Amino acid sequence: MIHLQDVHKSFGSNHVLRGFSMAITKGEIVCIIGPSGSGKSTVLRCINGLETYEGGAIHVNGALVDNKAKSIVAIRQNVSMVFQRFNLFPHRNVLDNVTEGPVFVKGEDAASAQRRGRELLARVGLSDKESAYPRQLSGGQQQRVAIARALAMEPEAILFDEPTSALDPELVGEVLSVMRDLAKDGMTMIIVTHEIAFAREVADRVIFMDQGVIVEQGPARSTLAHPAHPRTQDFLRRVTHPIDAE
Amino acid sequence: MQKFIADAAEFIPILFQGVVLTIGLTIGSLIISTLLGLVWALMRVSGVWALNGTAKLFVNFIRGIPIIVQLFYIYFVLPDLGITLSAMQAAIIGLGIAYSAYHSENFRAGIEAIDHGQIEAAQSIGMGWWMVMRRVILPQAIRIVLPPYGNIMIMMLKDSSQASTITVAELAMQGKLIASSTFKNTSVFTLVALMYLCMSLPLMALVTYLEKRFSSGQR
Repeated sequence: MIHLQDVHKSFGSNHVLRGFSMAITKGEIVCIIGPSGSGKSTVLRCINGLETYEGGAIHVNGALVDNKAKSIVAIRQNVSMVFQRFNLFPHRNVLDNVTEGPVFVKGEDAASAQRRGRELLARVGLSDKESAYPRQLSGGQQQRVAIARALAMEPEAILFDEPTSALDPELVGEVLSVMRDLAKDGMTMIIVTHEIAFAREVADRVIFMDQGVIVEQGPARSTLAHPAHPRTQDFLRRVTHPIDAE
Repeated sequence: MQKFIADAAEFIPILFQGVVLTIGLTIGSLIISTLLGLVWALMRVSGVWALNGTAKLFVNFIRGIPIIVQLFYIYFVLPDLGITLSAMQAAIIGLGIAYSAYHSENFRAGIEAIDHGQIEAAQSIGMGWWMVMRRVILPQAIRIVLPPYGNIMIMMLKDSSQASTITVAELAMQGKLIASSTFKNTSVFTLVALMYLCMSLPLMALVTYLEKRFSSGQR
């Protein structure tokens, strides 16, 4: 469903992606892990056109991702994104955040969008918060609203850009549990994360990235248990035993 | 004091004609300058090189010429080009254009103050540039823009007196006319000053109220 072929991307002299290729099939759940600055987030941001890329090609369902072209709008509706810092609209309440896209982008009528919006809020466990404003919610609640907002577009796939990195530790679980439910329902997901345990449990495949390329990839369970590459081994030791690794 | 009250009773009706013109001028030029200022600001943040450059050039051009010269130009020079405007029309357009530059810088600062993540979130649900502005950026920018906007509004009210230079008989001009024919300078200009205050103080109160209203309910 999503194909990246030899993608290159630079920020000035910083060559962030150096020939990145991957293919995601429908219903697949892929976790991308790796040290910061390795280009993980950039991969996601290129897929839905928040960044341009200089070399190679990205296709979503056969359509080329080009954020200067009109076709990008359809691609973005089909591939939603959840951000590290939630990025909810602070001037709209929770339900309006969720219905904003369906009503104003897709042209769905307000009543049906609200009905679906309430269903989605129930699905992420926030039925009682529909008229609250984002600033009144905890980080975990905000991220769950952001997931509902992404789902409201009825996408085929959702990109998660470190969805739990900005959360207090005790709030991580509630967001992961919503994502786990999505995974069970067969949603296609690409997740950039540092939650190794979650990746092991939920992902079909894990990709370890470093310096703009894939160092190693494979089935989540076996790759995380027995990484083949020294850099993967080193990284996993650091994130799973941060104190011993010092 | 007795004399002042007697003078006031005599002059206020005449000065009031000036007040009506002053208010008309201010509202007219406020509308034009706001719309035009928004256009410049949106051009500045459009990300399109040519639009940005054009707006920047135009805004600096306007800011670099005194309002009074702009008024002279519109009222006295445009007729040579076949465009004849009444003094009031020329004043409204002139003040509108002159102040659009200040609005534009204010609006641009407000737009650029919004977290870039907001734009990305809006784009990620498929919004185009224009809808991102209308639904996400501008509603949030209003809060930031409003206090300086109110101050510019008050400056406009006072600067509408410059229209007297192109024969618009607004409040300041009416005052000057009465003073020069009656020599009651103290009474007349005290009244004029009080009347400007009566208009600008409620405006200041309105700005304070709007600031409060827009800051509650969010963030």
